[in-house]
Amino acid sequence: MNKIVTGENIVKSYGKGDEKRNVLDGVSAEIYQGEFVSVMGPSGSGKSTLMFALSGMDGVDGGRVAFDGSDLSALGENELADIRRTKMGFVFQQPTLLKNLNILDNIILTSIRDRRKNAAKITEKARALMKKVGIAELEKRDVTQASGGQLQRAGICRALMSNPKIIFGDEPTGALNSKYAQDIMNIFSEINEDGTAVMLVTHDANVAVRAQRIMFMCDGKIVSEMRLSKFSGTDIDDRMEKVIAKMREIGI
Amino acid sequence: MYSRIILNDVLKSKLITLVTMIFVAAAAFLVSLAAILVVNLSGAIDTLMMQAKTPHFMQMHSGEIDTARLEAFAEENSYVDDFQVLEFLNADGARIIVGGNSLAGSVQDNGFSIQSEKFDYLLDLGGNLINASDGEIYVPVCYWKDGTAKPGDRAMIYGKEFTVAGFLRDSQMNSLLASSKRFLISENDYAEIKNYGSTEYLIEFRLKNLSALGEFENTYTSAGLEANGPTITYPLFKMLNAISDGLMIAVILLISVLVVAIAFMCVRFTLLAKIEDDYREIGVMKAIGMRVSDIKKIYLAKYAAIAAAGSILGFALTFVFRGMLLENIRLYMGESHNSAFALFFGIIGVLLVFFAMLAYIRGVLGRFGKISAAEAIRFGISQEKSGGAKYFCLSRSKLVDTNVFLGVKDVLTRKGLYVTMFAVLVISVFIIIVPQNLYNTISSKNFIKYMGIGSCDIRIDIQQIDNISQKAGEIAKVMERDNSISKFAVLTTKTFQTKSGSGPVERIKVELGDHSAFPVKYSEGRVPAAEDELALSSINANELGKSVGDVMELVIQGKEKKFTVCGIYSDITNGGKTAKAVFTDDSADSMWSIIYAELPDKSRTGAKISEYIGRFDFAKISDIDQYITQTFGSTRSSVEKAAYAAMAVALAVTVLVTLLFLKMLVAKDRYSIAVMKAFGFTNQDIKVQYVSRSVFVLIFGIVLGTLLANTLGEALAGAVIAYFGASSFQFAVNPLSAYLLCPAVMICAALTATIIGTSGAGQIKISENIKE
Repeated sequence: MNKIVTGENIVKSYGKGDEKRNVLDGVSAEIYQGEFVSVMGPSGSGKSTLMFALSGMDGVDGGRVAFDGSDLSALGENELADIRRTKMGFVFQQPTLLKNLNILDNIILTSIRDRRKNAAKITEKARALMKKVGIAELEKRDVTQASGGQLQRAGICRALMSNPKIIFGDEPTGALNSKYAQDIMNIFSEINEDGTAVMLVTHDANVAVRAQRIMFMCDGKIVSEMRLSKFSGTDIDDRMEKVIAKMREIGI
Repeated sequence: MYSRIILNDVLKSKLITLVTMIFVAAAAFLVSLAAILVVNLSGAIDTLMMQAKTPHFMQMHSGEIDTARLEAFAEENSYVDDFQVLEFLNADGARIIVGGNSLAGSVQDNGFSIQSEKFDYLLDLGGNLINASDGEIYVPVCYWKDGTAKPGDRAMIYGKEFTVAGFLRDSQMNSLLASSKRFLISENDYAEIKNYGSTEYLIEFRLKNLSALGEFENTYTSAGLEANGPTITYPLFKMLNAISDGLMIAVILLISVLVVAIAFMCVRFTLLAKIEDDYREIGVMKAIGMRVSDIKKIYLAKYAAIAAAGSILGFALTFVFRGMLLENIRLYMGESHNSAFALFFGIIGVLLVFFAMLAYIRGVLGRFGKISAAEAIRFGISQEKSGGAKYFCLSRSKLVDTNVFLGVKDVLTRKGLYVTMFAVLVISVFIIIVPQNLYNTISSKNFIKYMGIGSCDIRIDIQQIDNISQKAGEIAKVMERDNSISKFAVLTTKTFQTKSGSGPVERIKVELGDHSAFPVKYSEGRVPAAEDELALSSINANELGKSVGDVMELVIQGKEKKFTVCGIYSDITNGGKTAKAVFTDDSADSMWSIIYAELPDKSRTGAKISEYIGRFDFAKISDIDQYITQTFGSTRSSVEKAAYAAMAVALAVTVLVTLLFLKMLVAKDRYSIAVMKAFGFTNQDIKVQYVSRSVFVLIFGIVLGTLLANTLGEALAGAVIAYFGASSFQFAVNPLSAYLLCPAVMICAALTATIIGTSGAGQIKISENIKE
């Protein structure tokens, strides 16, 4: 399988002088095409920072990050923005929708460069995605007129608009109840089934178990990794047991 | 607790706090300055008129005078306290040379007087009566101000040498708007030069009770006494003294109103932005049971502190600058007797600004009452949405560029926030265009129509000589035979008595002749054509209560004759009180004659004027452009300067407010900017969005500002000019500058400010603003 993202020896620090702290302390990680990876760890372990570094959203202080063969540190702001827009998708804990746009507009927003030529096609695609995730009736609603779960689905539609190679999710179910969280995770699994790589950052084992590979982080380092079989939809309890046992083993 | 909250807030938003404070300080400064100037001006005028014992009623008269009859009238009249007749020796400006400068080009009627004995004294700059010794001359203070003369200069009057011993304040003729200026010399010197000029008489009365002035005026008019010249009363002297500094104060007040408005806008914007930021916290405070009034106090405290600091700073600035602006008042009128009051009123002005600001902040904070705690905690933003924006969707929009769409959409969604920038732009455009249009109007050749003068090339004035009609006839004869003059008209002004209904008898100046040759601007009706038609100046029409079609009576050769009012026209000459008719009359004395002439070949105007000057030394012959320049030149150049100053101020305000506004907006929008950047928007995209917002607001601001300038601004300027007698005022707009240049300059200024103001957006880090 081809590597999509490669991080080698990444160092990222915050603060200055005596207060300087390495949030990522020489981390190396890879994500392959079509893979479903979860990153787990306690708060402050550096998992979100790793996601920001691998997606090129944040620069690194040491090491190297490559995406689809390109060295991200060698690219300018505009090229990085182009990659994020056309090859990556993002879903955050909060829906991060713009308040002054309705839901449909928020979804087509990222297709900014293509809208000039294919406005009708883009809208059509957005509607299809909304239908797929079950929010077809919300297209004209304002952001304030939908529930958290609905907004998160809209966020996923937005992430899928550009047919990305990978979707990065930072605690995408963190603000949702368990029913909504399960629904969202089912959507992620479906996306992965279709061949899109997924990297989820989470502290929730229920979410992490969907992955084929789980990286465990602590104090800015990947302290362990475990592989799981492909998620079948029925083996969740079995996977949970394995993950919890692993967490006990490494003490997080 | 409040002081800690204020300090934290101020430290977090230094620039915004500073700019808001500067505007409050500027507003407080201007308002208190205007208050101090008003009090000082009125005090100084009162002091001057008291020291000089200004006459309550003055009739100027040229021609024969029957002093004994006047004395008898004064003695018999119970209103009269004191009476005197002064002589005023009219001199040709070319024969007055002071400090090497000839007054030939002066539009003022310069003349000589001796110190009067009873009242109407001429005072020195210390406010004391002047006693001129032989060989000494005291020069009107305006000639010191304009640099024509300085103490110790030599002066040559009709070949006789004088020394400028000092300068004088004349409570009657100080103002540049009073067209005569009195030089003071000794009795012996006066006797020596008396035969060179023409004598005009100032018939002056002081009354026992000033409130009886109206009745006394009627008695004087109906007694048929000397009246060949203008009549001026105490209130008019007061107004003349007040007007030039008064206009300056009016301008300061107008600017202060605009600055107060801008200060309000700044406060409103920062406050709304803060409320939006703190929406959830406000909801929480309400939810845990804090009273709305307590929550308000937290916000009020900060702005009260800023307003207080700004007000104190503004008042301090007043102290620094008031001397500079009071200088002119001090020079022309001396010290005010109530300068202590001035300070008191200055403080009241500052307090007014301060309390207005507090009341305004309270008003803005009124929206706290409407915030639903549940909604605020749940959504963190206001649920109020503007209807218009809801249907403006990206998916349906015809606007091709997404960034432009997002910019426009943001303005439509958050109208309340953008109102600030919009209002400032409207005000700025207004401030730029109105003075500019005013300048264009008064410098256009057509403006003389508002002055009561027809559009012509040469103007000849014949006045203060004997046989005016005959002399005018002589010139007319020559002009008739002169092939280089295409048309001319002789207009002779005479006074007639008129009765308005059962009201008192009044005197009215009527200009007789062919008025259709060089018509003036008629606001209603038309020029008089028939013998029984009469046109009135707008001020006269107002005062006499006449409109077109009304009938009024004039007393001609002792008989009452009916006239129909056929038109009302603009006139700002001779106090704006004139009338025009075409009938011929040989009975009354002519006050003056004016001849207008037009040349087919304009390039020969100069030569023709020189020719006529050589031929008719009794007449004042001038090129009409020169005439306008001399009469209105100083006003025109002040308005021009004011227009440029206004433009600079407006542009500075636009840049400052736009910069401040966008900096705040970027700070407020950092989360949205981070979100957009995360999903692949470049810094350039973000910049285009902000520029689109600015341009969108700019377009509406400029359109509304221009519209208001041409409607409300025109009406305002018209109201001021109407006060001096010009009616149906219309701006002469220079479309290139008003509709192209000004908007272009505004757009450049605002866009530069936008680009600088949004430069911070590039530095916004996605991870710092979006991380969960």
